[in-house]
Amino acid sequence: MGEFEELVLLMIAILDGDAYGVTVSQEIEQQTGRVVTFGAVHNTLIRLEEKGFVTSEMGGATAERGGRRKRLFKLTALGKTAITDIQQLRNKLWNLMPDPTLKLSGL
Amino acid sequence: MNSPQPPRWLKALLRWLHPGNTIEEVEGDLDELYAHAYLRYGESQAVLRYLVNVISVLPPFLRRRRNKSQYEQSFSLSPDMLKNYFKIAWRNIVRQKAYSVLNIAGLSIGMACSILILLWVQNELSYDRFHPRADQIFRLTCSAGDFRAAVSAAGMAPGLKSELPQIKNGVRISKWIHMLFEVGEKKVEEKRVIYADSNFLDFFSFPLLAGKKATALRDPGSILITEEMAIKYFGTSDAVGKTIRIDNKENFTVGGILANTPANSHLQFDCLIPMKTLARTSEDLQHNNWNNFIFYTYLQLDDKTAASAASRQNLIKQISSVFKAHGQTIKLDFELQALTDIHLHSNYQLDVAGHGNIQYVNIFFVIAIFILIVACINFMNLATARSERRAKEVGLRKVVGASRYQLIFQFLGESLIFSFLSLFIAIGIVFLLLPIFKILTEKSLTIHLLDGKLLLSLIGIAVLTGLLSGSYPALFLSGFAPVKVLKGKLRVAGGNLLFRNALVVMQFVVAIVLLVGTAVVYKQLDFIKKRNLGFDKSNLLYLPMNGDLWGKQQALKISLAQNQLTENFTVISALPTAVESGTVDVVWDGQIVPNQVVFPSLNVDENFINVFKTKVLAGRGFDKSFLGDSSNYMINEKAMQIMGMNIGNAVGKGLSLGEKKGTIIGVIKDFHFKSLQYAMEPLILQTNTWGGVVMVRTTAGNNEQTINALKKINQQLNPAFPFRFGFLDKDLDNLYRSEQQMGNIFNLFAGLAIFISCLGLYGLSAFMAEQRTKEIGVRKVLGASVTGVVGLLSQDFLKLILIAIIIASPIAWYAMQAWLQGFAYQITLEWWVIALAGILATAIALVTISFQSIRAALMNPVKSLRSE
Repeated sequence: MGEFEELVLLMIAILDGDAYGVTVSQEIEQQTGRVVTFGAVHNTLIRLEEKGFVTSEMGGATAERGGRRKRLFKLTALGKTAITDIQQLRNKLWNLMPDPTLKLSGL
Repeated sequence: MNSPQPPRWLKALLRWLHPGNTIEEVEGDLDELYAHAYLRYGESQAVLRYLVNVISVLPPFLRRRRNKSQYEQSFSLSPDMLKNYFKIAWRNIVRQKAYSVLNIAGLSIGMACSILILLWVQNELSYDRFHPRADQIFRLTCSAGDFRAAVSAAGMAPGLKSELPQIKNGVRISKWIHMLFEVGEKKVEEKRVIYADSNFLDFFSFPLLAGKKATALRDPGSILITEEMAIKYFGTSDAVGKTIRIDNKENFTVGGILANTPANSHLQFDCLIPMKTLARTSEDLQHNNWNNFIFYTYLQLDDKTAASAASRQNLIKQISSVFKAHGQTIKLDFELQALTDIHLHSNYQLDVAGHGNIQYVNIFFVIAIFILIVACINFMNLATARSERRAKEVGLRKVVGASRYQLIFQFLGESLIFSFLSLFIAIGIVFLLLPIFKILTEKSLTIHLLDGKLLLSLIGIAVLTGLLSGSYPALFLSGFAPVKVLKGKLRVAGGNLLFRNALVVMQFVVAIVLLVGTAVVYKQLDFIKKRNLGFDKSNLLYLPMNGDLWGKQQALKISLAQNQLTENFTVISALPTAVESGTVDVVWDGQIVPNQVVFPSLNVDENFINVFKTKVLAGRGFDKSFLGDSSNYMINEKAMQIMGMNIGNAVGKGLSLGEKKGTIIGVIKDFHFKSLQYAMEPLILQTNTWGGVVMVRTTAGNNEQTINALKKINQQLNPAFPFRFGFLDKDLDNLYRSEQQMGNIFNLFAGLAIFISCLGLYGLSAFMAEQRTKEIGVRKVLGASVTGVVGLLSQDFLKLILIAIIIASPIAWYAMQAWLQGFAYQITLEWWVIALAGILATAIALVTISFQSIRAALMNPVKSLRSE
């Protein structure tokens, strides 16, 4: 999984059922300060779905969108294990790190 | 508007270029983002972001969402849909019973025919392939000019094997010999006995069930018999060591039991006797002669030579030079005939009896396919004709979201259900018809359903039929536009009608060609049977000499002459069904170059001309009162032409046959002494000092008494041998047995093809009449007569049949001309045969249509018009 994919996956998890193109890109902008094109988010969402980390369904049409439905994304079990695995790996590696290294890097 | 809108052109661009399956959410998302940015950063910033975002979701930056996941799963394969398809198919079959019966009947009869024919074809093609070395074994044949013969000389197999390294092995077998077998009280004349070289069993792969393979064919006093024979004579297959007395002369010990000869072997024998036994009396075998062609020689070549036609050609050249080196001067054309070709591709004279013909295999294979196509056409026609009934279903399915592929899948599936249902019925029909078909073809055909290959091909036929017959309805029905269909505006398109008509025409082309074929085959066979052979073949009874009769010829002649019933007799060397002896060693007065033509010869006595009722054109026949006649000759017209003589000068010329010098005393009118498949050959007659067959001309009505008289004579002179006799005309008819068989099978399948076509036509006409019920009602109210209405309904079909006749005529003419080429004496193909077939087809079709059209025409218009 790429870094951006991981990011999007985390956003979907954070948004908890309210994740769709707009909210995901706004969340990324808000949380990381990165301005991303909509296309990047859109493509990543499709890719994640192809990989089986998320599922989607249509729903939640609002007047604001001209009556068009959103595609709402949800983590699958596979997606959940994927992000927890990554998290565990990170923690393990961080724990292995000797303290001076952290100090040096100024963290 | 309460929310700000992005520029229209950008939206248009987005809609134009973004894929349809994600446009909804993307457009919505972008709108939302635009509104958000508009509020936060102002319009220009929002438009800029919108532009960038739009571009980022256009190709090539865009990742496309795969369609599959847009819906749940493919509909057509989900269990629910499959269940639904089966349900609909079943309902259609049950609700439209007449239609289903027509369809399934047509398809299953068609399939049954094809399966039967394919069984036969497969059997024909399987001949001799069971030998493991079948690819390496070739038969050596020797032809002199037009006289192509399957036989070869005694010295060839051993001689060629020792001189040519390409030949790994060789085996000789004798011709088939009739022998009298005697075990205890049982006395039977066996007809399938051959002498074979000692390596016969190893060379081929005929298994030996009991006895020692290595020595089985070495001991001159032993005999190998098949299991069947062992049971016939000894009641047990454990017969090794038992004794059989042959020809009332000699006792043979059973040295081994052979498995029964497989039905698909061109070599069919019941007994094998070691060649050494024959060698005791045969000079040919003792000296390995190269000039007497009375054996069949099989050679096993090495792999390289067997595989390449060029090296076989080369080998043939070498064989020719070896032949010359053995002092032979005759010009012979040698051929190496592959073992697997012998059954189907052999057109040699003096060949093993009962071989097939590749032409028939091809013809029947094509007929099988045609019958299947005709059955498929029925299905297509009925399905498209009744498409209106299912149009609503198609429309509704489309409205609720069925794609065209799903509909195609559904209809193909339905036709597959039909074809598999038909397959089961067809297999039933095959089982029922197999005994009759076996009698017809005189073959032991069996159908083993558990045989994987057969099962696979049966399923293949069903799938092919299903796909073929379902293809057009599927494509046609699935193409309906739902709006039109549901509005009830469906008009049967012109293209569809044209296609259907083309199919009907095609069916009738096949039917007419088969009809013409039937007529021509029948006429040709009739022609051959009734052809004047140059002698009177009726009431000719024959008694082949065997056993003691050979030694008592004088006594035999005296007894025959004493009885009024048998006094009109002649002794000839061979029956005029197959004169086998012939020679090129002929010298005549005025001969310029050494003779290369094979002259068959027949030994006759002085009664021959009277008994056979032939004509002497010049000179005289043989006569007892001329003492010198034993060295004189008669020739036929053909021989006279070959010798360059004429009626005026032939008599009195010198002629020598081999060593024997003599004079031509008469010219006899050409008469046929071989099957009519061969053109007239030259013939030399000489006086009979040898014996052969006694021919008796009986008078009509006295046959039984004559047979009894002959029986009595045989009992007196030849008590050890059972009495055997035959009628010449029956034997002559038997010559054309395989043609007759083919004719019968052809008739059967032509009839079935026409029947299947009629089934389809019946269904189609029923449908047409039903569609036009109202029209007919109105016409009748306005005063149309019944005949007028029937004519109206028939004329559409009549047109099609006329077109079919026009197309079929040249095809039939060409095909039958090709078949007739195989006969030396053929009928001329007359136009009226084709016309007759056309009229017959038309009549059959009209009768079929009339069932429906007359019913429709007789219907009370009140009934048909009331319902609205």
